[in-house]
Amino acid sequence: MSGGGGGEEEQHLPGVSSASGSAAGTAGGRATPEMKRSAVRSLIQRYFHQLQSGCGNAHCSNANCASSGKVAPMTPNEVAARALQLFSQDAQLCEPSTSAASSPQDVDMLSPNDSSSSSSGSSTSTITSASTTTTTSRQSQSTPAAVVVAVASSNPDQSTPQLDLGGVEPSSGDSEPCTPTLPPVQSLDANGLMALYEQCRAADSYDRICHAIGDVFSSVDRLSKSFIRSAEPAASSSLQELLANPPEALNKEQLRTLEGEHDKDEDSTQQVEEGEATDDGEAIACAGPEAETEAEPEEEDEDVPMAQPTETTAEDDPPQSSDTQVDLPGLRRVQRLLFGCQTRAITDKLTSSVIQLAEWVHYMRPDWEKVIHCLVICFDLATNTNNSVVDMDYLDRVLPKLCHAAASMPVPAQARLARIWAAHCSDQLQALVAACQQQITLQVLLDEESMRENGSIISVTKVLKIVFYANILASELERPSCRVPLEDRTETAATSASGSGIVEDDLFAYNSVLQPHMPKFAEDQLEKALQVSAIDCRRPLVPLEEFYNEALSENIQMHHDYLSYKTLAMESEIGSGQTNYFSFMLYAFILTPATKVDALYYDSRMRMYSERYTSLYSMLNNFGQEGQDGTPRPDLKLTVRRDQLINDALIGLELVAMSNPKDLKKQLVVEFVGEQGIDEGGVSKEFFQLIVEEIFNPAFGMFIQQEETNNMWFNATPFENGAQFTLIGIIIGLAIYNNVILAVNFPMVVYRKLMGYCGTFADLNDWSPALYKSLKSMVDYQGQDMEEVFDQTFKISYSNVFGELVEHELVPNGKEVLVGQHNKQLFVNLYSDFLLNTNIQQQFNAFRKGFEMVTDESPLKLLFRPEEIEMLVCGSREFDFVELENSTEYEGGYTDETQIIQDFWSIVHAMPNESKRKLLEFTTGSARVPVGGLKCLRLLITRHGPDSDRLPTSHTCFNVLLLPEYSSREKLEERLMKAINYSKGFGML
Amino acid sequence: MTAPRRLRKELSDLQDNTLKAFRDIKADDDNLLRWTGLIVPDNPPYNKGAFRIEINFPAEYPFKPPKINFKTRIYHPNIDEKGQVCLPIISTENWKPATRTDQVVQALVDLINDPEPEHPLRAELAEEFLKDRKKFVKNAEDYTKKHSEKRPAD
Repeated sequence: MSGGGGGEEEQHLPGVSSASGSAAGTAGGRATPEMKRSAVRSLIQRYFHQLQSGCGNAHCSNANCASSGKVAPMTPNEVAARALQLFSQDAQLCEPSTSAASSPQDVDMLSPNDSSSSSSGSSTSTITSASTTTTTSRQSQSTPAAVVVAVASSNPDQSTPQLDLGGVEPSSGDSEPCTPTLPPVQSLDANGLMALYEQCRAADSYDRICHAIGDVFSSVDRLSKSFIRSAEPAASSSLQELLANPPEALNKEQLRTLEGEHDKDEDSTQQVEEGEATDDGEAIACAGPEAETEAEPEEEDEDVPMAQPTETTAEDDPPQSSDTQVDLPGLRRVQRLLFGCQTRAITDKLTSSVIQLAEWVHYMRPDWEKVIHCLVICFDLATNTNNSVVDMDYLDRVLPKLCHAAASMPVPAQARLARIWAAHCSDQLQALVAACQQQITLQVLLDEESMRENGSIISVTKVLKIVFYANILASELERPSCRVPLEDRTETAATSASGSGIVEDDLFAYNSVLQPHMPKFAEDQLEKALQVSAIDCRRPLVPLEEFYNEALSENIQMHHDYLSYKTLAMESEIGSGQTNYFSFMLYAFILTPATKVDALYYDSRMRMYSERYTSLYSMLNNFGQEGQDGTPRPDLKLTVRRDQLINDALIGLELVAMSNPKDLKKQLVVEFVGEQGIDEGGVSKEFFQLIVEEIFNPAFGMFIQQEETNNMWFNATPFENGAQFTLIGIIIGLAIYNNVILAVNFPMVVYRKLMGYCGTFADLNDWSPALYKSLKSMVDYQGQDMEEVFDQTFKISYSNVFGELVEHELVPNGKEVLVGQHNKQLFVNLYSDFLLNTNIQQQFNAFRKGFEMVTDESPLKLLFRPEEIEMLVCGSREFDFVELENSTEYEGGYTDETQIIQDFWSIVHAMPNESKRKLLEFTTGSARVPVGGLKCLRLLITRHGPDSDRLPTSHTCFNVLLLPEYSSREKLEERLMKAINYSKGFGML
Repeated sequence: MTAPRRLRKELSDLQDNTLKAFRDIKADDDNLLRWTGLIVPDNPPYNKGAFRIEINFPAEYPFKPPKINFKTRIYHPNIDEKGQVCLPIISTENWKPATRTDQVVQALVDLINDPEPEHPLRAELAEEFLKDRKKFVKNAEDYTKKHSEKRPAD
């Protein structure tokens, strides 16, 4: 139901709602906005089809009509975007000619509502009402029949006998062209279906295949018995042979035999009898939803070969299993065949059947294991597209329904679906993400005002979450996980620390929240069920940025979403669950960082104001009307002298942190002594800038700058005590809390650690690329002579801040333990753990404590991944290449006035950021901007001979770029782009 | 004196089995991470002298590469006036912890003997090397005579 609100549907009785959705909608009983929306939708659809397939008029002159031949080839996504654009421009729309007979119908099929704007409304309503009847007849098998029949069914007499006959008679009343005497097809498999298609094509009549598809794809029971992976490939090929020489036309007995063959082939001879028993059983079992859940599992053991002997795990614990019986290769062959063929009837049938199935699933909540089988099939059909019109059509109409069905599944079933997708459909995930995003974008643009009530957006978002976790599962996961709670390590380390006489400072009375930054109610159940988190995966299969939906993020109106979120939080506190509130904050993957920053901003503002208002309710009422009453704002006020900035600030914060840490959550107001500036944000911004400069100055002694990366790292041998680090943590927290961007260059692992994870070997890659590469090559070394080649013991050394060599044994008596094949991984893990965790543990724990004093109640962890936190703290990494140009020096005959140099800079300034990053990496070996900006690089451009075909080269050791004096600007650009794009791997001298 | 175990072994190996082109290897008395040695090239124009180099090993050796510096001035397209040399085998991109110092030194000696003008540190010398080899050889010989150390007796 395209426009139906999710809440509205849930309040209705399932059966009634469905019927009114299609029948009443056609009758025009909807409210005006709904009508408007559907009109808009159908218009966009028309633009879409005009772009995709054209109006059919061979002499069409419309530049936006495929028939005119002026439309450039586009991907479906681009077509959709273009269609939206045309719609907003009110572009010319061709009158569909008669040859494009299919298009009006398929607009109608999209949603029954659209018939109001359609030219062939009457024919569509016939189809619609017919399918309504079918839906009803299915429902009447399983809902309290009286209600449905009385209210919704247009023809109760017709459906009741069908119910009695169970599986014997066809239940699909809408397969009009078929001879009504054909037996219902109980299941399909790839080869069978393809053979059937061939026969139909030979006979030039596709009724039979439509009939079969209609039978199978509209029934969970039947579809769950279809496309089962064959255990014996030989048997299936013999069937193929049998079908390879089909009779001229198949009569119904032959068809029946054929089906029998399939069943024998896939399962056992019992199948046919069991099949009938199942339908009977279903009628009984589905008397009520509760009864059904008890009855179904028993049946499953009998007739669905879910758990074959080899797959004991599946039998033991289906939700944990990633196994599926779906014959995906076969299914994809079928998909190519069906969507590739010219006969719209088949795909139309498929589409309407799947929609029927999806709606039925949504309302009936049957045996989830069967539903999962069906969903795997249907989603795979939806995403495994080859970009032709028909599959777009399928995608567009079916996907929202499928998502609706999938989103209604309980968490374990969703988890199971995620596992199956991860294990078997990882190649489809990208397409699935794209399809979901397209749906969401479309819906958002149609329905900007009520996104949080739009059922389609919500269910597609929920499915996107399943895809999100499937994507994580399908990627390479880091083991051991960095999610080992830091507290556990702290415990052990604290005992050892106190043993050695060092006592952690306890200056600040602060009890850490158990799981900071993550409200209890917002914990993701799916994440819990899958025991996986985005943090486990360093290089996701589908980049997580692709899960951002720009349109949604732009239109979300974060304060509304935040209120929904707060309401949900409140409800979970007072224990009343089950409301219709929906907050995208619980689906943070879909939100762009900028939007999430808004959420964080509202959250900290709320907390700042909560000092003023005693109850949350009055706070909600007054939200957004700041400063209207005369009560003094309770601030966190810091008064500092410019020449004593750091001392004054640290002492001021120390006082607050010791006496009342809660005050840190008030709004920060900074005052410089003797200056008149009133802090409306600007003064504290300056304050942060100044103080960060001082704190991170290596001369201050708290942090050291790592030579290789220009990153700041904790000084492991500090002069100050832990309290200072706590105060610096407070400052970083305050910056986030007060929405200020800081110029700090921490390696990513700091942000991961702040979120409560541990540094692991993978983090070294960012911390010290050279060290990481070396250790990696050591781990990758396969020779048995490792002890001789590396001659490395479990004693490592590093130089401290004074440049002295310090040695450390990773295990007791490590100097005697050589690294070999058996313990190389252990060595690398311990080495990383030492550098990133243990060596700076005291410093970091103090730092983190300060950070949490400010941010522990904020939904930081809920919303942000560590790399996004980094962006939050430092802002995006923009490259100021003008600064670089001004500081660049020239040699070998070049000056800043040489033509090629001027060309070079004009090319470089016009580059996209990504290329600039590559150029930076190409010439300096690091894509990071050094502290102090690009001017500190001191790039040197040297003439490398006259014009030649040589590529530009570089000495990353000294930031030298060697540039031959190319004959033309074009050549320079071409050579330069080639060099930076293929610069991976160090060319031999 | 502390130093990575492997480094101590490499030093004693190199001192026991002297390479013909790399002699007089010593570690600093107070810092085993800093070595000096004498490069003795075979090819003209550098075969008229010897060149003192310094090798600095990082504390993390062998997980980070050593750095090489020429203490003797040399007329060479790949070595700049400050004595810096860009040797791929010890660049961070290419460094492998299994690489031993004798391999590094061998690569350096090869580079001295056969300059690589395609990837120069001193572009003007590279151009001279390519365009006017005679002039280059003469300049380099003069420079070597003037600045380099005496070759060891054998």
